[in-house]
Amino acid sequence: MLDRDPKNIILIGNPNTGKSTLFNSLTGLNQKIGNFPGVTVDKKTGSYTYKNNKVNVVDLPGTYSLSPNSEDEKVAKNYVESAHKDDLILVVADATNLKRNLLLYTQIVDQGKQVILVLNMMDLLEQNKQEIDLNKLSKLLNCPVVPINARIEKGVDELKYVIHSFNYKEHSFIDNKYSSNVVDETMLRFNKINQIVNECTTKNGENKAYIFTKKLDNILLHKFYGYLIFLGILFFIFQAIFSWSSYPMDMIENGFMQLGNFVESALPEGMINDLIVNGILAGLGGIVIFVPQIAILFGFITILEDTGYMARVSFLMDKILRQFGLNGKSVIPLLSSTACAIPAIMGARTISNYKERLITIMVAPLISCSARIPVYTILIALIVSEDSYYGIFNIQGLLVMGLYMLGFIAAILSAWVMKLIIKSKQKSTFTLEMPIYRAPRWKNVGFEIFSKVKIFLFDAGKVIIAISIILWVLSSYGPGDKFDQIESKYALELETKIENEGEINALIASEKLEASYAGIIGKTIEPAIKPLGFDWKIGISLVTSFAAREVFVGTMATLYSVGDEDNTKSIREKMMLAKNPETGEKLYTTATTLSLLLFYVFAMQCMATLAIVYRETNSIKWPIIQVVYMGALAYFSSLLVYTIFS
Amino acid sequence: MTLNNLTENQSGIIKHINDETLAIQLLAMGFILGEEIKIERIAPLGDPILIASGTNYISIRKSDAQQIEIKAL
Repeated sequence: MLDRDPKNIILIGNPNTGKSTLFNSLTGLNQKIGNFPGVTVDKKTGSYTYKNNKVNVVDLPGTYSLSPNSEDEKVAKNYVESAHKDDLILVVADATNLKRNLLLYTQIVDQGKQVILVLNMMDLLEQNKQEIDLNKLSKLLNCPVVPINARIEKGVDELKYVIHSFNYKEHSFIDNKYSSNVVDETMLRFNKINQIVNECTTKNGENKAYIFTKKLDNILLHKFYGYLIFLGILFFIFQAIFSWSSYPMDMIENGFMQLGNFVESALPEGMINDLIVNGILAGLGGIVIFVPQIAILFGFITILEDTGYMARVSFLMDKILRQFGLNGKSVIPLLSSTACAIPAIMGARTISNYKERLITIMVAPLISCSARIPVYTILIALIVSEDSYYGIFNIQGLLVMGLYMLGFIAAILSAWVMKLIIKSKQKSTFTLEMPIYRAPRWKNVGFEIFSKVKIFLFDAGKVIIAISIILWVLSSYGPGDKFDQIESKYALELETKIENEGEINALIASEKLEASYAGIIGKTIEPAIKPLGFDWKIGISLVTSFAAREVFVGTMATLYSVGDEDNTKSIREKMMLAKNPETGEKLYTTATTLSLLLFYVFAMQCMATLAIVYRETNSIKWPIIQVVYMGALAYFSSLLVYTIFS
Repeated sequence: MTLNNLTENQSGIIKHINDETLAIQLLAMGFILGEEIKIERIAPLGDPILIASGTNYISIRKSDAQQIEIKAL
């Protein structure tokens, strides 16, 4: 029996041909999300089952040819060239731009690979009054041609059928394929492609696809309105993050408080109860609450990319960014850094100039990411109330936008400094396709939001549970018999002054925390951070934040839960009540809070980002420089602000 | 004559691209020797520029436009 079913399928094609949409329809939710989706700059893998056979699907970054100009195109080239001879390669082509798309197809055929040509955007072809004779095309190319419309999943079942009944016959497109001159070879291919395309396509009228795009570009690339609209969009996004999310966030906050109370009363009293309620639940609740904001942010970023608008912003910004050692293409990494620096740093692969790419990587973590949102939100709430408005603008939203601006300015200035220091002779270019404007593919937007939230909850969630447990242990136990001493110190008082029981218990808890291992860690670093207005409790959270910034909130929740026996207050309320033990005044004064906010704007506190920087630069030098320069920026700006405001 | 001599909405025929890396890249993006090329738009700050050939619509810098030899139409 002949087993013709391929085990591995590889998707390759020009950028913006709907490859990833096809990948999503083929694999559904069977995707490995570990490698941060987004604009595909690395291969994505998934699978589907056809008649009881499992088929692996790999989606490669978009590329125009097998002569790569950037790191992401190199990934595609290398993967295809080293594909096994039994692997089936689907070249996804834009049916409305057949000539250009066929170049890549012919190059892969001449590598001796098994290929199926998938023609996407067949609906646009009709709109553009073009027709393609698919049978003729298939015959002339000597290869199966499958029309699909990935957006509405039309043709995907037929494609699967062709994949699993495909019979490969080895053939080549041009004979003298190993010409020493790539330009001549490419022209040879295009001459033959031209003949084929002319034979198979008929035009019944003008191509109207670009008319709408050009009209829209008149406004969006306008020398005044273009920049105004861009700023307006950014402003709208930040307002939306804060106003749209407040209702679901309140619900989640209340839900977790009730869950905590329920678990506390349902489980027998003791250590386990304490660990679950004050350690794990308190830490998790502090994170789940930010899902609405993160979903909104990732949703907007995906929409901007999906519609083709991001390329326009790059076009508008190239000349400005060039002055600072960056590139127009840096816009996409810098903007997606507002969501998370990790996909942003990987996204810098599209920048072909090494120096510009390196600078983009180095400054991207200065842009405030979604992990800072929880920290900003909770700290800002300590100094401004939720319902204060300036005109129609929510003041909390304005302040957060200010912090984002601050991060952005710091990133631009740091880039400029690095431009002066790092030497490079490589030529800088800005060659970028402007895709036609399209409505966002809502299903893709949904996929992105779902997978990003999943990463946030599970990856961050794992770390947070682990840290919550470690922190709970560290703050519930201490060296020697200190804890016993504290208990015996208050034992008599507890017996005689029953009416003050609550107050005395709180005193015991706070003294125990100070004597605990966590307290010792915090106390050890306290001298270094005291000039910034931070106490040892904040010190503990600075240490734990290094695992991930959002852990700050969980840490605060755990630290302040130890002692709140009734579990009736939100983290924010507990922090509001926190007192400076020396002066007895409010701990989170304006000076301390601002200082802490600035620290979180600038400091490099994310191990995952450092790991990615190490991987992308292939050197330990750059992540170290990043920690040092961002740390110095954080320390001295916090010091400055605390000194001014206190 | 090179492409940077044209202004918005002027066209020419691509004769030769001097920089080989750029030539390979532009060819693959659909800018084929012997075909028409048009400057669609110049960025608000004077650089980069949007160029079109057929339905291919891309942005390049002026310094690269200098490398593209054309025959004016």
